[in-house]
Amino acid sequence: MATTAVLDRLRARIGSTAPPISATVEAGHLKRFAEAIGDPNPRWLQEAPPTFLVALVPASIHLEEAEEYGKGWLNGGNRFEYVEPVQVGDRITATGRVADVYEKTGSSGSLLFIIFETEYVNQHGRTVARLRGTAIRR
Amino acid sequence: MNPKVGEELRDLVKHPTTRQLVQYAGAQGDFYEIHYDQDFARSVGLPGVILHGLLKAAFLGQLVTDWLGEDGTLKSFEVSYRGIDVPGRPYLCQGKVTRVDGDQVELEVWGEDSEGNRTTLGSASVEMKG
Repeated sequence: MATTAVLDRLRARIGSTAPPISATVEAGHLKRFAEAIGDPNPRWLQEAPPTFLVALVPASIHLEEAEEYGKGWLNGGNRFEYVEPVQVGDRITATGRVADVYEKTGSSGSLLFIIFETEYVNQHGRTVARLRGTAIRR
Repeated sequence: MNPKVGEELRDLVKHPTTRQLVQYAGAQGDFYEIHYDQDFARSVGLPGVILHGLLKAAFLGQLVTDWLGEDGTLKSFEVSYRGIDVPGRPYLCQGKVTRVDGDQVELEVWGEDSEGNRTTLGSASVEMKG
């Protein structure tokens, strides 16, 4: 079965990390992000709002072979852990890994779950945040 | 601020539009077509374009940070997407305090569609300033 082969190939990626990606938190980007979410709090001109890190670098590793499974992606959930605030000018390096891959079969068919984990480290070498995300193929 | 278990956060009502979805797609850099291309969205079995889960998370994040202000620090924030939401309908964000242990406070938050379905469930942990 094609889907079983895809599942096996994806499961072989568990534990693999993507090359780290670095990006600087720019004032203009923060402003556009705050406007896009419709949050007028002036605090977000200087500091990253709770979900901003997903906009700084891609929140998940692109696993092309997953697209052979089902017909679309859904976001199942996100968990953010904050260690210290992220401010304008910070240089953040994000390292993502595939934490888990599994299939669940329910009444409406099978779903593929991919769990991604990302760690964000600032220019001082300190971890500022962690993110765990659940991507679903349906 | 001295949070008490059962205390409710002030409701936040959002009015997402297709324009906002495009704006958010650009700001996040998420160009998956289900958020702005009606034909594509229907081709994958959706009723039309839907809100980004992370946009709903951002709404709930605002609910929490509006409540918290400068009185504490957000330590963790978790959301689970249980249903889809479409633009053109109000999105109601609500929350309450579920646990207080010294300066550690836990919150339950959720987002409701216009029919009262809780399409996003979440929680947050905050540390209050002493």
